[in-house]
Amino acid sequence: MRLSIFLALLLGLASFGTANADPLPFERGSWAKLSAAHAGRPTVIHFWGLTCAPCLVEMPHWAALKKARPDMRLVLVAADPVPQDPERLDAALARFGLDGTESWSFTDRFYERLRYEIDPAWAGELPRTVMIDRSGQATVLPGVADLAQVRQWLDAQSKSQ
Amino acid sequence: MRLLLALAALVLSGATAAAQHQHGKPGSTPEAFTATPAFGPDGTLWVVRPTGDRIVVQRSTDLGKTFAAPVTVTPEPMNLDWGPDARARIAVDPKGGLIVTFGTFQDKNFNGRTYFARSSDGTSFTQPRPITSDTTSQRFEVAGVDPAGRVFAAWLDKRNVTKAHAAGRAYPGAALAYAWEDGDAGFGGTSIALDNTCECCRLGLAFADAGRPAVAFRNIFPGSVRDHGVITFRDPATPGPVRRVSVDDWKIEACPHHGPALAIAPDGSYHVAWFTDGAARKGLFYARADSGDASYSQPRPLSAANRQPARPYLLANGSALHLVWKEFDGDKVAVRWQVSHDSGRQWSPPRTVAGTADASDHPLLVADRQRTYLSWLTKNEGYRLIPLGDQP
Repeated sequence: MRLSIFLALLLGLASFGTANADPLPFERGSWAKLSAAHAGRPTVIHFWGLTCAPCLVEMPHWAALKKARPDMRLVLVAADPVPQDPERLDAALARFGLDGTESWSFTDRFYERLRYEIDPAWAGELPRTVMIDRSGQATVLPGVADLAQVRQWLDAQSKSQ
Repeated sequence: MRLLLALAALVLSGATAAAQHQHGKPGSTPEAFTATPAFGPDGTLWVVRPTGDRIVVQRSTDLGKTFAAPVTVTPEPMNLDWGPDARARIAVDPKGGLIVTFGTFQDKNFNGRTYFARSSDGTSFTQPRPITSDTTSQRFEVAGVDPAGRVFAAWLDKRNVTKAHAAGRAYPGAALAYAWEDGDAGFGGTSIALDNTCECCRLGLAFADAGRPAVAFRNIFPGSVRDHGVITFRDPATPGPVRRVSVDDWKIEACPHHGPALAIAPDGSYHVAWFTDGAARKGLFYARADSGDASYSQPRPLSAANRQPARPYLLANGSALHLVWKEFDGDKVAVRWQVSHDSGRQWSPPRTVAGTADASDHPLLVADRQRTYLSWLTKNEGYRLIPLGDQP
């Protein structure tokens, strides 16, 4: 137990100390923090994974959309069932041109808990996109997202401003 | 001796340094967290576990209370497969000889290589050798001993993907491949039972008879629908047709990392449990068929989809058919258990037989003569072998 606290501290220090944009560790309670930080502002949260082949195909499309729609608040969460090396995640995001985007990665092997906090009925399939509007209403796009639908949603958000 | 026991406890405890490595540290490789059991004919419990970059086997003569010092199967460090549905496995032949199978990653694209090692008594193992000579990619190997004592192995193989791409054709998924052990020479030639199955889910294996394995797997049906099928061999070299277990209509261009469980009861009935997120149904389900050729019953849901039910396991032991799975209530993971004494038609109410409040391996079932046990590795509690009640 003491060892795990020590490791957690080390981990925290490591991600704090590095100048590059290593993903923030997504652990128990992170979903509440993430949601609170963006509450009241339309936000698109995209769940992907290094171990998810269709995710890696889809990511460049998200990069293009982000470029085309600077109004999109995009948050990326790497939700691999087995936590991945943050350096490799970071390298992948840089390759996609998404390294400037707010990014988190699952760092807890207690995968059931992380998923439950996000959505108890989420079976863990990736990719997955959750769009949360100003009032906190969530729209879930399971699987590879139809980006036309995302653009439509973004348009609706700016109109309702 | 005390030192050895302490070492053994350390290796088997979920709280080892290896377990701590699983928190995606910079520069770290993810690690497998599994423990897989088998009983020998004399009641010895064998457990195979990856520890970082090695595979070890431990034996217990007191039903998992204490373990002898671990015996290393892999003399050199290996890049072991840590995928969420992959696992090192162990099987025992009728003479008490052990066969261990495990997978490694060859590269960062999850191309795998499948190995086996043999031991006559568990004190030392042969140098691990690949199950097949093809080097393209193999994963999700499973080995079992048929009623005549012959070892059968099946796995998912990507050799035909490369061939198809070279010919300019698409090849979704991977092939279901198999081989039989061939005396001391290792495994004989590899054959393909079926092309285009889902590429990263574990296989379920049972035997209909000597020389007649049955394999349950996530198949790719037309339209990229990843539902389950079962193939029963007519004889050792002739795989039969695919029998679809249910039409869940899970259309997904990805691999769910959730493989099925299969058991065949002494009356010849087939029993399958599986996870799906299909258009027709979502969650964990069970169905039975009177035989390998009969159609499957209406799927019965196990638990509710918002409890994340997953990782089912089925075991037929005499007239008893046992079924376990795990689910999550927002706080604790529970292993739920049901038993049937009428070939899977009626089941006891689900009962929680173990729980944990942190990371855990899939729950497994293992039998020693009439007794059936839950075998479960959890981060907090370590390895546990839990006898299931309601025994004959």
